[in-house]
Amino acid sequence: MGFATEDLPDGITKVVLDGSLDIAGAAAIDLKMNVIAGARNAVLIDLQQVSFIGSMGLRAIVAPARAILSRKGRMVIYGPNELVEKVLRTSGIDTMIPIHHDYQAALAALSSQGPH
Amino acid sequence: MITRLLWLLSVAKVHIRMEGTMEMTANAMDLAQNQPKHLDQFVLGSRLSEMERLPVWVDSLAAAYSIDENIKFAINLCLEEVVSNVIRHGYANQEGQFLTVDCSSPRPGQFVFTVEDDAAPFNPLELAALPGISPQDEGQIGGQGIRLLRGFSDTLEYEPKPGGNRLRIGFTNASAGPSNWPQ
Repeated sequence: MGFATEDLPDGITKVVLDGSLDIAGAAAIDLKMNVIAGARNAVLIDLQQVSFIGSMGLRAIVAPARAILSRKGRMVIYGPNELVEKVLRTSGIDTMIPIHHDYQAALAALSSQGPH
Repeated sequence: MITRLLWLLSVAKVHIRMEGTMEMTANAMDLAQNQPKHLDQFVLGSRLSEMERLPVWVDSLAAAYSIDENIKFAINLCLEEVVSNVIRHGYANQEGQFLTVDCSSPRPGQFVFTVEDDAAPFNPLELAALPGISPQDEGQIGGQGIRLLRGFSDTLEYEPKPGGNRLRIGFTNASAGPSNWPQ
């Protein structure tokens, strides 16, 4: 499971995930996602290269999102493929973390709505 | 006269036998067409690390029977949810036990995965539909498996078996199936 971060303007952190967010993939990123959640308040999760996600993969995204949201921070999901997005929407995660397919709109959602 | 009568009787007997044979053959074919075609079986030990082999097995089935990518995704998702649930909760992460996953095709374009375990009776289909994930309810994070199972499978059937459970998960992929299915 690939995991990379990039610091963007406006205090935004982009997290790029690559691979299968199955049980093994979720275990591989859990700690790294928790570190991000503890330190960053505006996080874009790039799922363009994620081919699969199960409930443990959802957990690896939702738990850090709750931590960030509890501090009035923001998280958005960018670019999931059709099947991964169906999992996200079936779980209801999209009501908590907005899903974007337009990169600029995803950045705008993190940077233009008041303090992080 | 007697010779002719015997000949007529013998012809009639042959005819009856042929008709009977043809009828039986037709019945056997009908029966064969309606019988689920068993495709493969997969056996896992009760360790989560065993699950890494599941997608490889599903890949081989998808290649062999021309299963579409979206159906393969749904199969992987449902099997991950069910099998991990059995290992983590049914077997309480205790090693040394096994579960089997059978793949069969009841008719062209349909695939049924039967997961059998030896855990305590548990019918996931009796669980009420869970609400979606929300920012407030921490307890819901891990409870999405049943919701996903219902959302990505076409049929679900549960039955207890002596000393365990049997769950059948069905998927429809109209363009796929064993190549030797009668057309």
